[in-house]
This record gives sequence, structure tokens and C-alpha cells, in this order.
Amino acid sequence: MESILTPLLGLAWGIPLALCLLWALPSGHRLGERLVPWSALPALLLALLSGGIDGSGTGLTLPLLFTGAEFSLDPLGRAFLLFTALLWLAGGWFAAAYHRKDPRSGAFFLFFALTMTGNLGLVLAADLLTFYLFFALMTFAAYGLVAHARDRPARRAGRIYIVMAVLGELALLSGLLSLGAALGGVPTFGAEIEGSWRLLEGGDASGLSLLATGVLLAIGLGVKAGIVPLHLWLPLAHPVAPTAASALLSGAMIKAGLLGWVRVLPEETALPVLAMGFLGVGVFTAFYGVLMGVPQDDPKTVLAYSSVSQMGYMAIGVALLVHDPALAPLALAAIALYAMHHGLAKGALFLSVGLADRAPRAAGSPDDPWRRRILVGAALPALALAGLPLTSGGLAKNALKDGLGELGGVHYAVVDPLLLVAAFGTTLLMVRFLVTLERRRRDSLADAGAEGSEGAGFGGLLFPWAGLIGIGLVGVAWMGIYTPITGDAALPGLFDGWLAGLAPVLLGGLAGFAVLRRGEWLGSFRSVRIPAGDLLRPIEWGIQRLPRPDQEAIVERLEALGGRGTGWVVRAFDPVIALADRDLKSIRGAPLAVLVFGLALALVVLLLR
Amino acid sequence: MVSPLWAWDGLPLAVVLSSFVPGVLIMFLREEQTLLRNTLNMTGALAKVGFVGLMLQGVAAGASYEWAFEILPGLELSLAGDALALLFVTLSAVLWLVTTVYAIGYMEASRNRTRFFAFFSLCVTATTGIAMAGDLFTFVIFYEALTWATYPLVVHSGTPEAIRAGRTYLAYTLGAGAILVVGAVGFEVTTGTVAFAAGGVVDPMAVEAEPIRYLLLFLCLLVGMGVKSAIFPIHGWLPTAMVAPAPVSALLHAVAVVKAGAFGVIRLIHSLFGIEVSWEMGLTTLVAVLASFTIIYASVRALAQTDIKRILAFSTVSQLSYIALGVALLDPLAQVGGLVHLVHQGIMKITLFFCAGVIAQTLGVKTVGAMGGVARRMPLTMAAFTVAALGMIGLPPVAGFISKWYLGLGALGAGAPWVILVLLASSLLNAAYFLPILRTAYFDEPSESWSDPWPHHRLEADWRMVLPAVITAALSLAVGVFAASDWSPLGWALLIVERGGL
Repeated sequence: MESILTPLLGLAWGIPLALCLLWALPSGHRLGERLVPWSALPALLLALLSGGIDGSGTGLTLPLLFTGAEFSLDPLGRAFLLFTALLWLAGGWFAAAYHRKDPRSGAFFLFFALTMTGNLGLVLAADLLTFYLFFALMTFAAYGLVAHARDRPARRAGRIYIVMAVLGELALLSGLLSLGAALGGVPTFGAEIEGSWRLLEGGDASGLSLLATGVLLAIGLGVKAGIVPLHLWLPLAHPVAPTAASALLSGAMIKAGLLGWVRVLPEETALPVLAMGFLGVGVFTAFYGVLMGVPQDDPKTVLAYSSVSQMGYMAIGVALLVHDPALAPLALAAIALYAMHHGLAKGALFLSVGLADRAPRAAGSPDDPWRRRILVGAALPALALAGLPLTSGGLAKNALKDGLGELGGVHYAVVDPLLLVAAFGTTLLMVRFLVTLERRRRDSLADAGAEGSEGAGFGGLLFPWAGLIGIGLVGVAWMGIYTPITGDAALPGLFDGWLAGLAPVLLGGLAGFAVLRRGEWLGSFRSVRIPAGDLLRPIEWGIQRLPRPDQEAIVERLEALGGRGTGWVVRAFDPVIALADRDLKSIRGAPLAVLVFGLALALVVLLLR
Repeated sequence: MVSPLWAWDGLPLAVVLSSFVPGVLIMFLREEQTLLRNTLNMTGALAKVGFVGLMLQGVAAGASYEWAFEILPGLELSLAGDALALLFVTLSAVLWLVTTVYAIGYMEASRNRTRFFAFFSLCVTATTGIAMAGDLFTFVIFYEALTWATYPLVVHSGTPEAIRAGRTYLAYTLGAGAILVVGAVGFEVTTGTVAFAAGGVVDPMAVEAEPIRYLLLFLCLLVGMGVKSAIFPIHGWLPTAMVAPAPVSALLHAVAVVKAGAFGVIRLIHSLFGIEVSWEMGLTTLVAVLASFTIIYASVRALAQTDIKRILAFSTVSQLSYIALGVALLDPLAQVGGLVHLVHQGIMKITLFFCAGVIAQTLGVKTVGAMGGVARRMPLTMAAFTVAALGMIGLPPVAGFISKWYLGLGALGAGAPWVILVLLASSLLNAAYFLPILRTAYFDEPSESWSDPWPHHRLEADWRMVLPAVITAALSLAVGVFAASDWSPLGWALLIVERGGL
């Protein structure tokens, strides 16, 4: 891709990074806050313009940078770059309006820019360490977004987030080291990394280190992707982060884990155990997210659990990829489609929550024109997420099913019906989301009381939201046109399996609204209370009750081991020290130094003679 | 044809004298001759960087330097400038320059500055001497000189606490120095040579004949080097010595004393015994295990501290052992990792001490709990601190990651995957004590009791202290970001290993 687009491979992440330097200037952050929301434009431009170009092969090489950084854009990367850049633009636009009066907006946009740099850079990275570099940047900078509110829930969420992130980072690093050591260097993605896996396979008869490497990478990236049980941070971080940040976390950033899986896991070296692990965990996650999500009261927590559940589907795509090289084109297409679809839909859904909080309201009037508009608008991506045929979600699910069909056998026989049930669950979850969203709007009106709101800057909230919904809607047609985005695989037709796709959505929707009208079963969960972060509470409870070693005593004992034994030596030197002290006090030190030099010299000379 | 500037044979001596001469001259100055003193200091520091720059060019072009002075028949003081020596010399020259600027700012209101700066220069003289020592004899002389040159700096403030710290320091280092001399003499008597040579000077056959004797020699030398390198269980002096003024701690923890020890361990394993012989004797395993234990132990200790400088001191103990660990593994990539960490740990740790010093000096903040809001009050300083702290954890692209990556590759290459666990555990512990400091500084509310609250229309603190921290932080970032460059510490470490200079 040696073309005018090549510099964009660097500018796409370089511009947001360069903007961070503005914060080093006095009052530079004011300019920074204005520019950062738009700094994903070069990335979007790159994703749109690189359409007809086959991105494999050449790219941008910065030989001096890091360990020799390489960037390129293949079809999969292009799909990821497209929705990632769109989301960062929409999120930036939204955040600029949302944080207009936030006294800490300066800090917010600095972390925003750093996180964006990481996210865009990791999509373009073409070698192992460059990917890891941007991945780590995104992970650690996003802490600033999660903890932005600075209150207790934000601190707790931030703590859980960072602890899990560090653990994930370490698992990832150990996996990368194993790949790097096999090759004796830093493998680039594609052929070199496959070679690295082959060497790893060849170098170890037991296959243990091969499997361990695969598992470590799966876990390290899985923390970001949020598959069960590595999802614990997700339902805590999403509700407390500012709306735009939640949209980006769920829409774009957790996909970095997915992209990482695709990039580093082997396509050609068979790892059947890992593939089955992905399949099992994926299906389990898809169900678990729904089960934990339905009882939640906060619409953002519901969405967070929905993301967990949806990442389960994408993990199934990874299972196909790892299982059989023959399935790779189909699996890649399914993953690309699913990631794009979910990114756009989930981004729009999160922004709906911010809109429900901030949409203008008429003072003293019972009318609330925005309530209906927001609900209808949010229902569109919600339906897509449920997998309604003719939506992006329907298409993505079809692609995944095609892949499973190719896999065939007992896996297909078991997993396919399960996915139907899961789709039913997703629909329920979306109904639950709309219910909680409506309630949130009502509560926010009640809070505002008779004041009303001026609605200034509302366009900045509305347009990105509407834009994401619109792109999601027309996305279907457009994905059909742009086949290069999905690589070699042919996309499934829009109408393939529409009946099987429609059934769970209809049933789920009917069931949801039916019980909602009857007994408010979905409306309130007084008997079932699941705290956000489900397993976290029992885990924390368990950790607190672990027998605690007496740290003081251990340290004391260690200290005794290291220090006290030498006490008599210290005392033996007292006379020398007294002499040195006196000299330091009475004279200015020169004679002492000369004396010491001379003595030391003489001593050694005498000894060595 | 005019020969290039770097072809001058006297460069090694010039490097050593460029700090020795100012140091001696300063001793004869009066306390209030500040300008003259600072001029001498800065001239020396700049000259040293210049000479070192020339030597770097020369060595890169394939030259090597030797300078010898016969003290007694058959016994000479020999300075050599090869790639390995230059790795250390460059580090000390550059960091001495920035620390001098820092110290001028930091010590402005302090007493006994003449004494301070004189010994400060001597301390660096001894360090460069150690770096360029061509044989064990020269090494030992400068090594002992370093002990004495540093003592007045440790006890500078003269408080009972400082005197106590100085006593501990002397006890450890003099004790170890004595053992080192015994080892050195024994080595000379046994092998008949004291010269350093790549690949070692010990004959494997001789070791087979007298294994116990060689074992004892190695242990004597290891104790001698290990004290300054703060390997458990002989690390106790280092956390105590952090009572010294911040510039001293900075230099002490980054370059001077501790690096002399670490460099000594490199010389011991690679230039005296040779890695093959050491490995066959099982001694590299001993060093690797001791180093690994030190890494974890000191990090656990750091976790329990609340005083920032004490955290940093234990962190030094831990990070130093990365060097010993790397050079003790039988894999070229691990040795690259260890060598490069000699530089990386130095620039990162000096940044942390610079920052801790300027924060304590400006705001009176010395504990983690009091760090709230410091990032808003002193953004540049905290930015520098953040870069260095993230580097210590080993996050890319800061220097520390490069070290960790190569150590990890080397550990797998040497068939010692357990080292990976040590590296991971260390990263985790580093995160556990550095991240809370950052969290508090960035996300907590400012304290009420700052000694110098919000400044208006001026820099957050004395520029002479902020600038060095920013420079070394930028260096920590740059050596990672441009690690692939030939002139990066990594490039240089690869050069050393490629040339078989270890």
C-alpha cells in the first residue's frame, strides 16, 4: 500500500498523540479540548479511502521506533478501523457537548486522546510489540476515563479495572514472550506469527508450552474482551464512566481484545483444546451475560452485561478461527461483521442513556416529547442487537451461523439451537434496557423538578447519537457492497435464514412486553438482586476472609535475616567512623580525601605485591 | 590526513580527570564562592560528556582505548575504554551533568556546599574509574575510593540519623571492601593475572583441579561486589542511606555506588571467571537465584513503606538485581537485558528521586498519603514521575519494558522459564506500589498543608530541579521509543554482545 495513504497509517494515531502535547503548554488544554474530539478524522479517512486496495503486504515501517514498529491495514483491520474511528468521532462530539460545563473536562480529554491513540494504533499495528504497546497505552489511559467521576463508586470501579487490567497485561506479556522467544525476535502478524507458532509446536513434544502460550494469550486479551469469568470489571466500569466513555469502552475498546485474539492466535497450527475452550466459554458467556443483565436496574449496567453476552458470540467466531484453517475466511468475515455491528449498535445505545439524562425538558409541563423519540431511536439498535433479520445484527449472526454450519458435527448440533435460545435472551435484555431507560428519563425529569433545562449544546448530543443509529441502519446495505472488508469470504445473503432469525426476536419481544404489562416481572426485581459485578462480591468476601499472614512479623523476620546479623560489624566500625566524623567537622575534607585515597592505594599495593 | 579527534589515546584519563580536577579545586574554595564553584562543576561535567561523546564515536568506529600508568614494577593503573566500559561511563557522565544542575538548585540554601560538591565530583571520578578499569587492581582501587568519597555525602546533613546511616554504610562497604581485597589478591595469586578479558581469564582445567579454591574466590569477590549492588542479604545499607540529600540519593541509586556493584558483578562473571566457567561451577545459578529472591523480597518490602524515598530505595534494591539476573543467565538476549537495564534503571530511578526531592523541597510532601493533588500543583514534575514509574512497572514504551522483554526472551532461551514468573511477580508488585502513588497524585484532593501553595505566573518549582527531572524522564521515554536505534542503550548493549565484549 505504498500510496498517498501510507502516511495516514502513522497520522491516524500520531495526531491524537501529538495533541496531548498541548497539555504541556500553559492553557494549552483549552485548544486541546477543542481539537481532540475531531482527531479521529484521519483514521476514518484512512478506513474509507483504502477501500479498493489490498492491504496485505507493504505498509508503514518506522525502523527506529520502539523495536522496529510496523503498521499496515488488512481487510480485517480496515473493518475494525472503520467502526473504531466512527465511534471515537461520535464519542468525541458527544463528550464535547456533554462535558461543556465539567470543571475537569481538561483531564477528561487528555485521557480521551491517549486512549484514542492506543485504540487506533493497535488496530493499525502489524507486529507483536507495537500492538502490545498501543494496547497497554489504551488500557492504562482508560483508567482516567473510568475513574473520571472521582467518587466512591468510580474509585472502586477504577480499582477493580486496573487490578484486572494489570493481571491481564501480565498474562498477555508472558504469552508474547513465549512467541517472541520461539522466533528469537518480534514477529509481525500474519506469516511470521504463524511461523512462531510452528516453531513453538516443533520445539516441544508434549505440546504443553504451545497450549500454555495459547491459554495465556487468550486470558490476557480476554480480560479486555470481557468474557466470563474475566468480565468482572465491565459491569462496574460502564455505569460510572461518563456516557461517551462507556460507549467507547463497550463499542470500541473491548473489541481490542477480540482483534488481539485474531491477530496473535494461530490459524494454521491446530489448537483444538483452545478452540473448544473458546466455543464453550463463548456460549456460556452469551447466556451468563443475559442472566446477570436482566435483573439490573441501571440501563448502563444492563448494556454492560449485554456487551459481555455479545462478546461471547464473538468468542465463538474466534473458536472457528483457531479450530480449522479452512474455516478462517468465513470466521474472519463473521468476526469483522459482528464487531462492526456490535460496536455501532452498542455505541448508539450507550449514548441514548446520556441523551435521556440531558435532553431538554419543558418546565412545569407534563409533556415530554423527547421520551418517545429517545425510546424509538434506541429501539432500532436494540433490535439489531437482538438479531432481527435485515439489520446489521441479523447479518452478523447469519455469518456466524454459516461458520458454525461449516464446522458441522456435534458442535453445530449443540451450539446452533443454544444460540437461538440466547437470541431470545438478548431480546429480553433489550426490552429490559428500554424499560430501565424510560425509567431513567422519568427520574431525571423528576430530579430536574420545575427548572426545565435550556437544552443548549443539545445538538452535540443528538447528532452523534442519531448518526450512529443511521450508520447502523444503512450499514447492512453498505456492508453488502463493500465485500473487501470481509476478506475472501462471501457474505451470507440478507434473507438467509430470516425465519430462524425472526422467531427469537418476536418471541422475546412478545414475552418481554407481555410479562411487563402483566406483573411488572421485568419491571422490578424485588426478589432477585444481583449486584453489578456479580461474582465480584463473593470473591471480595472470600478474599477478606482469607487467613491473613501477619505482614509485620514477616517483614521483621526478613529484616532480621538481612540486617540484624550484621549489627556487630556495624559496631566494630565505630572508631573509624568517629575519626571520619571529626575530620569532616574540623577540616574541610580535602586532607581526609587525600589521606583516604592514599591509604586505599597503599593497602592494595601492599597486598598485591 | 588529520586524524579524528577521537583518536587521542588520553581520552580515558581525560574522562576521569574531568571530574577529579574540579573536585580537588573546589576543596580549596570558600563557601561563598558560589559562582566559581558552579562554573568549575559545570565545566567539568560538560567536558566529561564531551570526552565520552568522542570515545563513543571512536568505539563505534571500531577503536579501543588503553591507558596505563606503572605504579610499581609489574603493577599498573590501567584504564580501558571498550564498549562495555562506555555503557557505564556514558550513563555516569550524562547523569552527573543533570544531577549537578539539580544539586545546584537543591543545595542552594544548604550549608557546607563546598564539601558537598567536592566529594560529589570525587564520587563520580571513582565511578568512571570503576567503569574503565582495565584490570581488577585498578577496579579495586577506584572501588574503595568510591566508598570513601560517598561517605561525606551520605552524612551530609549531620543529623544523628544521617550519622547512623553513614555508619551502617561504612560498615557494610568497608567490610565488603576488605573481603573484596582478599578475593582480588587471592585471584592474582591463583591465576597469575588480574586483567579483565572478554570470556574470562580462568582456565577451566584449573577449576577442575581446585574447585573449592575457585569457589571461595568467587564468593569473596561476589560479596565484595554484592554489597554495593545490594543483593540480599547484604543490601541493608541502601534503604538506610536514603537519608542523604536528594541529589545524592539520586546519583547513589542510579549511577554511583549501586551501579559500581552491579558492574562489578558483570566483570566478575564475564571478565574474570567467564560465563561458561561460572555456569559449569553452578555459580550463575547461585547469582540468579539470589538476584531473583532480592527482586521479590525488596518489592514486598517497598509495598509496606509509606515514605516515598523509602519506597524508591527498596525499589532500587529490587531493580538492581535485574542486572545481576540478566548477566547470570546463559543466553545472549538475557545478557542484553541485564546490560541495558544498567542504563535504563539509572535514568528511570534518577528521575524518580529528582521528582521526590523537588516535591519534598517545594511542598514538604514526603509520604504517599500526602500526595493528593500534587499532579495539579506540579504537573511537569508529576508527568516525569509518571513516565519513570510506569517504566519501573515495565510498561511499553518506557525503558523498563525493553529490559523486561529482553530478560524474558533470554530466560526462555536459557531454559529458565521460572525467571518469567519472577519478572511477572516483580511487575505486579511494582504496579502495586507505584500505581497508588499516581492515583493519589492525580485523582485525590490537594492537601491544605503545602509549604508553598499555588504559584501564579511562575514555574511550579525551581527550574534547576524541574528541568533535570523532565530531561531524564524524556530520556527514559526516548530510549524505549527509539530502542531500535543503533545509539540507544539497547543498540549499544546488542553491540557489546555481538562483539563478544562480555
